[in-house]
Amino acid sequence: MINKALNHLEELLVTFLMGAATIIIFISVMHRYLSGYEIPGLQDWLLSLNVGWAQELCIIMFVWMAKFGAAYGVRTGIHVGVDVLINRLSDRMRGKFIVFGLLAGATFTGIVATLGAHFVWENGAHYAFFKFFGAEMGDLFEGPITPDLEWPTWIVYSAIPLGSSLMCFRFLQVTWSFIKTGELPHHDHGHVDGLEEETPPVDFDPYGMDDNLHMRDMKHTMVGENRRKEHKPVEDDRRKDDLGGMPK
Amino acid sequence: MNALVIFSLLAVLMLTGMPISISLGLTVLTFLFTMTQVPLESVALKLFTGIEKFEIMAIPFFILAGNFLTHGGVAKRMINFATSMVGHWYGGLGLAGVMACALFAAVSGSSPATVVAIGSILLPAMVKAGFPNKFGAGVISTSGALGILIPPSIVMVMYSVATNTSVGALFMAGVIPGLLLAATLGGVTWYRAKKFDYPRQPKASWSERFDAFRKSAWGLFLIVVVMGGIYSGMFTPTEAAAMSAVYAFVVAVFIYKDMGLKDVPKVLLNSANMSAMLLYIITNAVLFSFIMTNENIPQALADWMLGNGLGMITFLLAVNIILLLAGNFMEPSSIVLIFAPILFPVAMKLGIDPVHFGIIMVVNMEVGMCHPPVGLNLYVASGITKMGITELTVAVWPWLLSMLVFLGFVTYLPAMSIWLPKTLGMM
Repeated sequence: MINKALNHLEELLVTFLMGAATIIIFISVMHRYLSGYEIPGLQDWLLSLNVGWAQELCIIMFVWMAKFGAAYGVRTGIHVGVDVLINRLSDRMRGKFIVFGLLAGATFTGIVATLGAHFVWENGAHYAFFKFFGAEMGDLFEGPITPDLEWPTWIVYSAIPLGSSLMCFRFLQVTWSFIKTGELPHHDHGHVDGLEEETPPVDFDPYGMDDNLHMRDMKHTMVGENRRKEHKPVEDDRRKDDLGGMPK
Repeated sequence: MNALVIFSLLAVLMLTGMPISISLGLTVLTFLFTMTQVPLESVALKLFTGIEKFEIMAIPFFILAGNFLTHGGVAKRMINFATSMVGHWYGGLGLAGVMACALFAAVSGSSPATVVAIGSILLPAMVKAGFPNKFGAGVISTSGALGILIPPSIVMVMYSVATNTSVGALFMAGVIPGLLLAATLGGVTWYRAKKFDYPRQPKASWSERFDAFRKSAWGLFLIVVVMGGIYSGMFTPTEAAAMSAVYAFVVAVFIYKDMGLKDVPKVLLNSANMSAMLLYIITNAVLFSFIMTNENIPQALADWMLGNGLGMITFLLAVNIILLLAGNFMEPSSIVLIFAPILFPVAMKLGIDPVHFGIIMVVNMEVGMCHPPVGLNLYVASGITKMGITELTVAVWPWLLSMLVFLGFVTYLPAMSIWLPKTLGMM
């Protein structure tokens, strides 16, 4: 339940940041060109607006998108690795390496989250919280602000601890479900919409692509080098999610 | 000594199959905790500032633009246009495949998506017309890779991020090699089709051609928005990318009507997912190149090369071999981000043009996408053609060989890449 809400929140945030950043840059470019034309009223109004902060805001939004999107990416299995070697191992050995890799991801993101939290705390968060609660300030440092928007940098930089903690959590989640079910999330790099009507390769199976950039899990059959002989088709509910419908 | 430790650690971590970004990050952390005095705070800061550059933001925008137009409908329009232009020559549908792949790949920005989109529409048509399956699969899987050479190209933005080279100049430099490589692949297709007497299409009339062009022009105009905008100085590359994303949105939703407004959030989410993955690799690669520079590794490599009297020719040969080998294990963006910061300073010392060097790297990446064990194009092609990887490798062989020859020309004829941007005064 909570997990579902978190999933939605994550997707919503990432989608919003992507769309909003695009619109902001579009508006700032439009502003630059339109304010050059002498349209009475409009020009004065445009000139009175200052959009010099657009670039900075776009960067901040994309950094946040990158941190939370990377966490989302763990859940969708988009992160690429060098899996040529382990994909040739026996199932048991491969399973061990997969768990090792996932836990290494959790370790790294955990360390980064700690470092980032420390950094943010020292650079203004400490001051801000104490000020908010009216505690004794001592000689605490207020922390720098961003150049254009003049936002406190600790708020901006808190993307690192927040995003990395979420990513760490996602790695642990994927590890847990892998140990329990033997399945890994898998991203399809060649997905194209709108091919339904004339798609003859009806049972094109993204799980069947052992592209050697992703860890191959225990559940799905692979084509390619055809290491496994038995063919197991994609389950219907997964096909619905990942392929956008049943084959025609 | 330190260099050896760093690289061995990185190699071992990577081979365990963890994400490339994580193995880069863990290498850096291990190094920092055990071998150096660089304060950890500066690393925490680097994690944020690593991607705090407006130039890098072109990547999510280009991915978004491409995703709006990565649609079967767009692919069909490009195929119709290409078929009406070149379909009546020998190997008509094959040639059309090369052309359609070049156009679609440039617009969509993704090689595997191009192979799937063009391949799943064109391959059945080719089989029906009497081409052997192998021929079609070979044409499509190699031509799909053209996208990273023809602008706008995300791999080129990656290179410019890693080496501070002008994106505009790189894009311009990609045009001529891109067209020549398309011509080379088309030439091989034509030659083989003529030799084995494959069928030709009826010749299209000019009005049919114009009609097909009109329909595909909206999508193709994206390239004009980007290139024209950057060249005329109207936009910076990142702004051009954002404008092209908005343009692609308008074309996909209001002109082509391939998708409705309700599909937009899904496109945004998918693009964010893809760009976050690439930005995460960039963040960690920036950290990695930070410790490399800190340890003076590129410098030492350059001195060693010059000390041993190894000139430009040997160096470029070595670069090609290293990159082709790396292409056996990794995908293009990671290779560029890891190898460019190491090789670039050496190239500069030897007096190689930065833009030319970038084009060499990009062409190498293209070859890498078309051969096993890691070649995304081959794997998606195997998915849609139902051919095994070994069989496909044999099928792409003629085209792959011509690509390797082409790589040789690009490497040793700098004029091919830098003539156009020089003439246009972009560098």
